[in-house]
Amino acid sequence: MGLVFIRTIILFITLFVIMRLMGKRQIGEMQPYELVITLIIAELACIPMGDTSIPLLYGIVAILTVYFLHQVVCLIDLNFNQAKLVLSGSPSVVLNKNGIDDSQLKKNNLDVSDLIESLRIEGYFSLDAVDYALYEAEGTFSALPKKNYQEKQTSLPIILVDEGKFDERNLKLTQKPKGYFLDVLRQHGCDELKKVLVMTVDGNGKVYLQKKRQKYKVFHLDWEAQLW
Amino acid sequence: MVKTLVSMLVTLSILIGAAIFENVYVKHLFQDFQRTLLTLQDKTENHTANYEDGAAVREYWESKKSVMYVWLPHSTLQEFDYQLNEAIGLLYSKDYPNVISKLEILLAMAENIPQTYSLRLENIF
Repeated sequence: MGLVFIRTIILFITLFVIMRLMGKRQIGEMQPYELVITLIIAELACIPMGDTSIPLLYGIVAILTVYFLHQVVCLIDLNFNQAKLVLSGSPSVVLNKNGIDDSQLKKNNLDVSDLIESLRIEGYFSLDAVDYALYEAEGTFSALPKKNYQEKQTSLPIILVDEGKFDERNLKLTQKPKGYFLDVLRQHGCDELKKVLVMTVDGNGKVYLQKKRQKYKVFHLDWEAQLW
Repeated sequence: MVKTLVSMLVTLSILIGAAIFENVYVKHLFQDFQRTLLTLQDKTENHTANYEDGAAVREYWESKKSVMYVWLPHSTLQEFDYQLNEAIGLLYSKDYPNVISKLEILLAMAENIPQTYSLRLENIF
């Protein structure tokens, strides 16, 4: 019994630390400790249920230990702000008025395409449509749109350059050669492709360009017709 | 806050209480059983043990076994059962040397089982 108690505590702490280290990508609408509890409690109940050679008490003790740990974490979470930061984490502002904060993205094991996907789910198709975007501590995504954000979304933007690499499939959609966009980048002071954090273009030729650790730029390319 | 603290204390008390009880109870029970086995071993060495002595040990074990199922994995108890029944079978045929070796196994098991499930660092990991 004592063994099950201590082993459950060790496994709980291990899973909890791993979940915190994995970042917000793995969590999704649950506090890290809640996810840990969800992960282990079902197994704890199932093992003695399915294997009749294991005393039922082993499962009950393990579940009670998880309950006890849950209460401890809840108590700390509610009463100690510093501990709350360690246990539950804090929101990560991944996009602000300067553009994408890639250090925050990396901290949470996310990349620019994950951010764009989250924005699309929230109904924002253009990176310049929002002032702030953040991943909450429990992994959900929130965004504060600009006042006139709907005017900025007239066509679907696609990623052309993601972290210094061209997306060849999207490049074909633009019906323009790579050199054309390299020239555009050069005109906007970007001689090296690897310095580009993200470059998107929509069907009207509106470009969102952000170099690493710099503020983003939005400009229009002179296209004769809307491409998509 | 008070409710959380009370629920934590109650849960912790139940868990610690159960752990202590299990530790003491299992250890005590196997110590008793060891003594019974040692008596049987003495009789076997003197070639005075008979089937009835073995059956009495088994009866004693059976009376405790049902409670042990609550605390210990059933496979451990079944292994003990198997060894004990084999010893009693050998006793029936008065094969004393083999009975002694079986009793040695049972004595070692009676000593090791409580240790296997007690609170020790090597058992935790």
